[in-house]
Amino acid sequence: MGNKISIMIVDDELIVRESFLHWFEKLGHKVETAASGHEALEKLEKSFFDLLFVDIKMPKMNGIELLGKVKEEYPETIVIIITAYGSIDTAVNAMKMGASDYLLKPFKPEQLTLVMEKVAHQKRLISEYEYMKGRLDRITHFDNIIGQSAVMKEIFELIPKVAQSDSSVLILGKTGTGKELIAKAVHSKSKQANRPFVAINCGAMPDTLLESELFGYQKGAFTGATHSRKGILEVVSGGTLFLDEVGEISPKMQVDLLRVLEEKKMTRLGDREPIDLDFRLISSTSRDLEKEVSEGRFREDFYYRINVIMVHVSPLKERKEDIPLLIQHFLDKYSHETTKKVNHISRDASDLLKAYDWPGNVRELENAIERAVVLSKSRTLTSEDFSFLHPSSIRPTGRRTLREIEKEHINFILNDCGWNVTKASGILGINRVTLHKMIKRYQLKRP
Amino acid sequence: MGKVAEIVPKAIAANILGYLHINTDIVSSLENPQYAFDESRIQYNAGEILKAFESMPFHNYEKVIGILDLDLFVPIFSYVFGEARQAGKYALVSLYRLQKNLDGSTPSTSLFLERAAKVALHELGHLFNLIHCEDENCLMHFSGGLQDLDNASFYFCRYCSTYFRDALSIDRTKGKNTRPERDS
Repeated sequence: MGNKISIMIVDDELIVRESFLHWFEKLGHKVETAASGHEALEKLEKSFFDLLFVDIKMPKMNGIELLGKVKEEYPETIVIIITAYGSIDTAVNAMKMGASDYLLKPFKPEQLTLVMEKVAHQKRLISEYEYMKGRLDRITHFDNIIGQSAVMKEIFELIPKVAQSDSSVLILGKTGTGKELIAKAVHSKSKQANRPFVAINCGAMPDTLLESELFGYQKGAFTGATHSRKGILEVVSGGTLFLDEVGEISPKMQVDLLRVLEEKKMTRLGDREPIDLDFRLISSTSRDLEKEVSEGRFREDFYYRINVIMVHVSPLKERKEDIPLLIQHFLDKYSHETTKKVNHISRDASDLLKAYDWPGNVRELENAIERAVVLSKSRTLTSEDFSFLHPSSIRPTGRRTLREIEKEHINFILNDCGWNVTKASGILGINRVTLHKMIKRYQLKRP
Repeated sequence: MGKVAEIVPKAIAANILGYLHINTDIVSSLENPQYAFDESRIQYNAGEILKAFESMPFHNYEKVIGILDLDLFVPIFSYVFGEARQAGKYALVSLYRLQKNLDGSTPSTSLFLERAAKVALHELGHLFNLIHCEDENCLMHFSGGLQDLDNASFYFCRYCSTYFRDALSIDRTKGKNTRPERDS
């Protein structure tokens, strides 16, 4: 067998366990033993095993029961049944339940070699299947929007309808709720799907940079413009432009963009020649734009221009029924990406994640699971793996506003990280720019 | 152990010296290991014999190979040609199934001795912590039956040779001469 594998021998007879152990040590495999089905299940919870040799006749939990549990919980583990009490019925039953082979002890040494060759072949097929499945998932789960709550189902129904029109879409939702994923889903289902999708974070760059990024410039338009450059509005021609955090752009830029949207034309900086434009606009914001409009901080005409169709994404704490599905999705994703076989979560850990408020929403949940998977030493995540989640967010929050809770949580994490913004933003599941804006908004100060 | 022709340990010792450059002593024969006889299988339990070896006075030897003309088994297998604990001190070679061909005929003495030497070298490899090799021509490749054993040549692959050399040089730098003094 080319690669060394991890094997567990489950047999109540010490002498049999030792015989297997000595034999497989000579083959260089990693071998563990268990004297009962319960001990085997405990070990399976902690570590991944490629192959199990299971004796049928054991007290309390017999081999067939164990086989059933293993195939239910760890279907990728190959099981070979061994017994001295062989009968065709037992063999057929074991094979029906998913055993890969059946050995009557004592067997000839070469029989075990043949079984191991068969296991190697099966393992190769499983690896190939997992690889292909991973590739297929990446193709079929392009949207990557996961949810079973009523609000998410509404969004799933809305996306294809919205995609068929050319109208501007405004996606509202707190940071980390997956606004960009929805924008990409709309694009992928629209007739512009094979054209570019360009996302630009309006909150991450100063006005002048945003202007030159969007409109491009002619050579000599300003100091340092040593060559002409196409703007994103030109590059995205025929496709979809996604303006993330549109609520952050300045009034002047709002005017410029409004003109572009109305006339479908623009001129590069330093140029006079108008260029025809053709793109679909999707914007998003975590701000309350209606309030911004009523308080005069956002242009009403621009607001109505970008808000032809509005999609509201609820924060994760308002759709907690989505959490189990998201947990499984991210577990599968990071288990596959990190090639660590961490693909289970204990009930207490699952309850903890459901009780948590997730101020950073789906992104924070994803980061939490990625971190737990990377650091986990067992194949099942437990509540201890999520000890980094701030307990105050799990406690009942009383009659306080969301802003108060958000402010308190950000302040706690910042202090906890010694005001290391990169580290704090990682824990909060938001980017550094957003965190800086929040620090400013809540007037948080280093103690 | 038991009734083993004198020529067998001599041939094995010569092959160990020839292929591995390890000097070997042949000590006086031990009695049949009746304690390891399993009446239900009419065979001798190799594990029991190896355990008994641990209480015997082989203190001056780094590695010990017991040669028997008895049919050996380990609990999971119907028979074994030899048995050794990985990186252990004691190994066994059973001549029982080597002295008959698959068709029931008797092999020539040279073929019989060749088989015994191959099993001994293979088990000695385990004592030096070598694992089964994927190279079908290598002596550390697992031989499931007589045919495999006869097809194998007296050859350790590049990797197993290097591993053997390293294992022996480590033993020597530890000051443990692989050629031990004769037991008193």
